[in-house]
Amino acid sequence: MAAEAGQLDPAASGGVLARLSRSVRPRRPHRPRDAVKSFALTFALVAVLAAFLAPMLRATLVSLKTPDQLSETNAPFLPSLPQTFSFEGKDRDVYTVPLPDGTTRQLAMVKPGRQQSDFVDPANPAAGTITWQGSWRTLDRAWLLAPAFQNYVDVWNLIDFPRLLFNTVALAVIGMIGTVISCTLVAYGFARFRFPGRSLLFTILIATIFLPSAVTVVPTYTMFVQLGWVGTWLPLLVPAFFANAFDVFLIRQYFLTIPREMDEAASIDGAGPFRTLISVILPQAWPAIVAVAIFHLVYAWNDFFGPLIYLSTKPELQPLAVGLQRFNGIHYRNPAYVQAGTLMTMLIPVILFLIFQRIFVRGVVVTGVDK
Amino acid sequence: MRVIRATTAVAVLALVVGACSSGAPTPAPSSAPTVAASDAASQPAPPSDGASAPANTPIAIGGSTPAPGQTEIRWYCCLGGGDAPEQVAVEKQVVEAFNASHPNIHVTFEAVPYAGANDALATEIASGNGPDIVGPVGIGGANAFHGQWLDLAPLITKSNYDLSGFPPDAVNIYKLDEGQVGIPFAIYPSVLFYAKSLFDEAGLAYPPHKYGEKYTMPDGSVVDWNYDTITQVAKILTVDSTGKDATQDGFDPTKIVQWGFEPQRDDLRGMGAYFGAGSLAGADGKTAQIPDPWKAAWKHWYDNIWTDHVSMTGPIFQSPDINPEDYPFFTGKVAMSQNFLWSTYGLEGLEGDWDMAALPAYNGKTTSAFNADTFRILKDTKHPDEAFEVLTYLLGEAAPDLLSTYGGMPARTDEQAAFFESQDETFTQKPDWQVAIDSIPFADNPNFEAFMPKYNETLGLVGSGGKYTTRWQTEKGLNMDQEFEALRSEIQAIWDKP
Amino acid sequence: MTAVGRTTRPRLRGLPRLRSLSPLTRREALWGYLFISPWIIGFLWFVLGPMIASLAFTFTNINLAQEEPLQFVGLRNWQTMLGDAQVWAALGVTIRFALIQLPVVLILPFLLAIGLNARYVKGASAFRVLFFLPYVVPFVSGVLIWGGMLNSETGWVNEVLRFLGVENPPNWLNDTGWVYPALVMIGIWGIGAGIIVNLAGLRGIPTELYDAARIDGAGFWGALRHITLPMMSPVIFYTLVLAIVEVLQYFLVPLVINNGTGEPGGSTFFFNLYLYKNFFTYQNMAYGATLAWLLFLVTLVVSLIIFRTSRRWVYYAGER
Repeated sequence: MAAEAGQLDPAASGGVLARLSRSVRPRRPHRPRDAVKSFALTFALVAVLAAFLAPMLRATLVSLKTPDQLSETNAPFLPSLPQTFSFEGKDRDVYTVPLPDGTTRQLAMVKPGRQQSDFVDPANPAAGTITWQGSWRTLDRAWLLAPAFQNYVDVWNLIDFPRLLFNTVALAVIGMIGTVISCTLVAYGFARFRFPGRSLLFTILIATIFLPSAVTVVPTYTMFVQLGWVGTWLPLLVPAFFANAFDVFLIRQYFLTIPREMDEAASIDGAGPFRTLISVILPQAWPAIVAVAIFHLVYAWNDFFGPLIYLSTKPELQPLAVGLQRFNGIHYRNPAYVQAGTLMTMLIPVILFLIFQRIFVRGVVVTGVDK
Repeated sequence: MRVIRATTAVAVLALVVGACSSGAPTPAPSSAPTVAASDAASQPAPPSDGASAPANTPIAIGGSTPAPGQTEIRWYCCLGGGDAPEQVAVEKQVVEAFNASHPNIHVTFEAVPYAGANDALATEIASGNGPDIVGPVGIGGANAFHGQWLDLAPLITKSNYDLSGFPPDAVNIYKLDEGQVGIPFAIYPSVLFYAKSLFDEAGLAYPPHKYGEKYTMPDGSVVDWNYDTITQVAKILTVDSTGKDATQDGFDPTKIVQWGFEPQRDDLRGMGAYFGAGSLAGADGKTAQIPDPWKAAWKHWYDNIWTDHVSMTGPIFQSPDINPEDYPFFTGKVAMSQNFLWSTYGLEGLEGDWDMAALPAYNGKTTSAFNADTFRILKDTKHPDEAFEVLTYLLGEAAPDLLSTYGGMPARTDEQAAFFESQDETFTQKPDWQVAIDSIPFADNPNFEAFMPKYNETLGLVGSGGKYTTRWQTEKGLNMDQEFEALRSEIQAIWDKP
Repeated sequence: MTAVGRTTRPRLRGLPRLRSLSPLTRREALWGYLFISPWIIGFLWFVLGPMIASLAFTFTNINLAQEEPLQFVGLRNWQTMLGDAQVWAALGVTIRFALIQLPVVLILPFLLAIGLNARYVKGASAFRVLFFLPYVVPFVSGVLIWGGMLNSETGWVNEVLRFLGVENPPNWLNDTGWVYPALVMIGIWGIGAGIIVNLAGLRGIPTELYDAARIDGAGFWGALRHITLPMMSPVIFYTLVLAIVEVLQYFLVPLVINNGTGEPGGSTFFFNLYLYKNFFTYQNMAYGATLAWLLFLVTLVVSLIIFRTSRRWVYYAGER
């Protein structure tokens, strides 16, 4: 398979391109036309984003609701509490009731009925019941805006976050280090060195992802049983240090966009392959390396089945994904808990992304300076 | 059977990019963790009460290891129930007590989240690294692993285990082609649950609590307690947002806010069994058939949804906003629902506004679909004697604690009264538990979860979230007789495959 | 050793200046092997064995219950597969869906990345984080959130449609005509990763090229055609190959959302779903593995074709 892919369409200015290297984007003076473009583009992105994130908003709203609201068919959009009034030892629902005299009052329903219902006035329960003619189902319930932040506190206490977080961070970070280092080395080997069988080996590398993983689970698990690694983190961590096709492929593609002139210059200066990788290639390949780091983090963060089968007898070693799934299995009856748990699980990867994406942007600047 | 709603009854196989390499996710969508379904049967769920669970570090499970010279017995838990924090706490205590009193055996407790339990167990068994004991597991859940269970008969004989305390029928449930694969533990007859306040609001009489009693309609007529009556009463209890019920002119079926009746719709076989026991397999065990009472039950359900409007349509049933808890009766917006006794786990939210009544009859005959849970031993266990010792401990000394936390009615007749007393501590309105006891003689025989060929594949048609289960609640205007024939021939095609 | 490599693989063409200096070539090859050795070791240690085992399964009758003794059955599973109507139906479903899904997952992240990389955008880093957000949502949670969004009675999508005056909005997940758009919509939630890859690619394009193009009078489209696309072609190639592998192995969303029944009307009966169910639900490891190896072969053929064509459209500045 063509590991060494073809040349650029000669129509494009290939020769020129190859000679150029990356540089800092020059700041140019702000022009009025840019302002219009800026507004239009930003607006378009906001519109796309609004639709894109609507489900997220829905999940967030659900996470702040109480079961009382979630089970109510005509509940308000925002997290709110249905108003109740305690009368004769029971909580009664409060409704907005239009009275025959033309006034509207908030009354608590004591005895619902099909044709008429009995209410009391929470302000004056001693006055006795007021009988209202009509179907109470046509009345609106009284609601009070009240986001249930307590849900998040409950979930924190129910999931045992600290230990699960420690396990998850450890698994994700160690695996990420292994993945980034091994994949960078392997990609460098494929991108910059010629050796017999390179094409075939690269084909084999890519082909390892063509086999659906469902069928290799059992033999893989068997192998780790025989190695005595089941019940430890090793099956989840060790393979990360031996590269994987997805990330090698991405980094190799990126390395191949970097012109060779600079490696060759470094090599003439006496730099060995390692020095060239570190001082010439890596500074220009930051975006791809960071992308791989992010992918591994998110993967390891949400990986469920691997930790489940390898750590099923060792709950104290399990990561958050297993804890969250266990939690969801138990608390699926309270969607607010499930959504709150999901959102809390996402928090750290999002923060890490915030940090990473700064490096991501800075990567280019470093490149320019380096040149 | 607690089937976490079709959509959630899913295991999460994060195989993503190769279980072998720790590949990073890929840029295209659905790259995040992979998922595996367990649409195989699930089991009766002990009360796994979520919202009000005590908030103490629940997921801490002992991880001690066997000492040299000890035999390790692995107890694999949670093919459908037993994974709630308070249950795990009890299970852990049971394990510790056993380990403390049995120096030669060390039990390791393996609690796997329901979402991945079936796939993880399959992986372990296929790799020759299976556990020794599995449970609590129901009849259907065990059939998902048909052929894996140890015949206990030799061990029962060898140890003179006393089976006389059980009703013989309960023992025979576990006598299969594989042998005596189980000893009775918990049983769950079906009853009719009803919401008292909704009957009060409509001015209707409560359903009868005694089998054979008749029902008095609002017009004073006295009628048999059968499925036609259920539909008549349910129509009065089905109300739209303007307060009109389903018997009135101007009732809007698109704006229903309260439903009259919900059958147990987890599994079409179970739904059928309320009208009469039967099996999809004919006498020869390989010809597909559909029992007549099941056809009647499914037609009744279909008409209840689409003509009478007293049961939820599929989209309503699946809406997380209207029915977030799988069983609509838990929301308090359903007046009557038939379900297994284990479904009491979801009734705490109703604050005592419920009771149990007699199941209606079909063609003059009552049938109560039955669930039963127990612990089983895998046939590949290397230590059958030690595993049996642990098993008898779970079914014996530990049984009161476990049954109480699982909410399982003891199979041993003489332990039932004490069990219901303990349930009254949770349900202070004191439901009429006698209904459950009276329902036992009406148990469906053969049980609807009994083994059939290609068990798991066939469930894809009739099980929870199965093809026909979903189709009938989603599509209006179907010719049901044609549907039954299509279902039968599809089952036959599956069974005829090599 | 190098000579053998060269003659048997003539496509390794043009080994240039160093050709005559054989010791240097050998040193380069040794460095190459050294750098890729982690993968080779890992492959031999963790990957190859399970792959061979799964291939061996296809020639046996292995299953979980194993009521008949385990034995070699030759090509029986492969024969069964070729005669299995569901196999071809499932492949058809997969390909039909791929034709809808692929353009979306290739083009949308590319366009969004260009938008996010444009210097006209205010608050680009906030946008980046927000577009990335759903990618972090645990998979099952994400699908369930979408199940709620797309519910025909109470989902937001239909509420918005009703608000806009659509009287009978579609029953997305239960209508053969709407289920693919619904699945694509759910898939779009994962484009955070695609955006990152594309952004990384864009970040690598030297800005001088654009400045030069501007001086030559090229507009946005000219720059896109002559600079962005060629310079991005290695990254686009990567996303294309992976998107194809992904879509051929697609099954998770329907597995969660329609419980893997293939409904409505068999339209979500994807090949990998059938494979997965054979393996884990029906516990027929032999047949599941056979299906997997068929998918492997299909993917291999498609990829080889794409790798072939890539010589014509992928430009590597650092290739040799």
